[in-house]
Amino acid sequence: MRAQFVFHEVWIGLRRNLTMTIALIVVVAISLSLLGTGLLFVKQVENARSYWQSRVQLSVYLCSSPTIGGSCAKDGVVTSSEIAAIRQDLLATHDIVPGGLTFETQAQAWQQFKSEMSSNPALVKYTPPSQIPSSFEVRLKNTQADALPVSEAMDGVPGVSHVVDDSTVLDQFYKLLDGARNAVVVIAIFLLVAAIMLVANTIRLSAFNRRRETSIMRLVGASNFYVQLPFLVEGLIAGLIGWLVATGLLILVKSLWLNSLQTYFPYGTTLSSADLIEVIIVNMITGLLICGSTSFLTLRRYLRV
Amino acid sequence: MIHFDNVTKAYANQGRPALENVTLDVEKSEFVFLVGPSGSGKSTFLRLILKEERPTSGRIHVAGKDLARLTNWKVPLLRRRIGCVFQDFRLLPNKSVYQNIAFALEVIGKPRRFIRKVVPEVIDLVGLEGKRDRMPDELSGGEQQRVAMARAFVNRPMILLADEPTGNIDPATSIGIMKVLDRINRTGTTVVMATHDAAIVDSMRKRVIELEYGKVVRDQSRGVYGQAY
Repeated sequence: MRAQFVFHEVWIGLRRNLTMTIALIVVVAISLSLLGTGLLFVKQVENARSYWQSRVQLSVYLCSSPTIGGSCAKDGVVTSSEIAAIRQDLLATHDIVPGGLTFETQAQAWQQFKSEMSSNPALVKYTPPSQIPSSFEVRLKNTQADALPVSEAMDGVPGVSHVVDDSTVLDQFYKLLDGARNAVVVIAIFLLVAAIMLVANTIRLSAFNRRRETSIMRLVGASNFYVQLPFLVEGLIAGLIGWLVATGLLILVKSLWLNSLQTYFPYGTTLSSADLIEVIIVNMITGLLICGSTSFLTLRRYLRV
Repeated sequence: MIHFDNVTKAYANQGRPALENVTLDVEKSEFVFLVGPSGSGKSTFLRLILKEERPTSGRIHVAGKDLARLTNWKVPLLRRRIGCVFQDFRLLPNKSVYQNIAFALEVIGKPRRFIRKVVPEVIDLVGLEGKRDRMPDELSGGEQQRVAMARAFVNRPMILLADEPTGNIDPATSIGIMKVLDRINRTGTTVVMATHDAAIVDSMRKRVIELEYGKVVRDQSRGVYGQAY
């Protein structure tokens, strides 16, 4: 009896306020899907970060020809004794992961260059193998702290052309992702504020539309709970539908957009279904909390007994 | 049943209190007319009984309960023991006679079986047999007021408050309304009726309480509308 009565009242309320209800559902859906996208971004960046944490390295490029300039112009092509000295120096003075020092010969480097640039055959054709520098690939125990001292120490050592820190390249990528995430989250927050106001307005309108019913309910002694429950359920149902739509959108975002990002940048950016489900659950809690608490607070103001 | 002890009710921004030092008792199953010009405090008196207003000073007991000590969440329970009828009927236009009356029971969570049993009984009591599926706009004013009385009485309240129930109804139909109120009163329900209708008060010969400027100026058993000293 009770449940049937409440749902009948809810149905009447939703139908009478159809345009408001639809607006509410759309705003909740969009704000939740943006929030979810932001959260997926956060996860993506986290995944990529932990993937790269163990892989970033420092590349110490050696002189392949005097034409490169810098110290190479003075000393010419690196000699095998210089290579041995550099190896000694790196191992002796810096905190390197065991087995984290590898030497890449010019031949190996050229092979890699060729495969990476396979889409640009002209470049490969006019780049002589002797132009590609050999290098030491260094994996430091503490990349963040030690990368700069190492590159400073190596600067100017005979035979060393220049030092490249992978993490500076990655930092730019992270900044890009962080920026995109922040933008999405900020927009989501603005929309959530709009959603809160819309919920309040919809419930107010609904209460006004049914003031006859509620005044009679109060008169015959219906409890606060009974008078307010249909409105509360109304807000929650709108929130729930909004969340369902947002869930659909998020699955689309994940399968179309983020997955295609992975094909362009396939390094540690995979998002598992578990990540997606977690975000969807966070979304549900946010949506129901916002709609429920706003309805409740609005009712306390506008439906006093 | 209703006990006012030196009750004063003053609204903000108004010089004279709406009720001033009112002390009176209404016993169980009494029938009381509340008369007096507009603004004399009749409606305030009724609203105080329902705890829609709080008195500025003084004590009110209704059905054995001290209203000042009644917590907010218990107010609905008080109102379930009081039925209300108004000049403007206050029916729900999109519900039938039966649905309007059943609504009062649905919203206090009565079981469906109970509702199916008592609603037809009360429809018979107010004399609306065969009209249970009519909509309010298909009924005359008198019939609508009967629906309102049925709704007020369906939960068998201890007290029935009627605020000018015949105010929108012609004199001939009013007699029928009064008969229903009398019938309700005979079941043991206390009836308090605020009215301007002199003919009705004079014909019923019940207790009359007259208010003027918020004060009780007359309290007479078997009284009439006009001054009768």
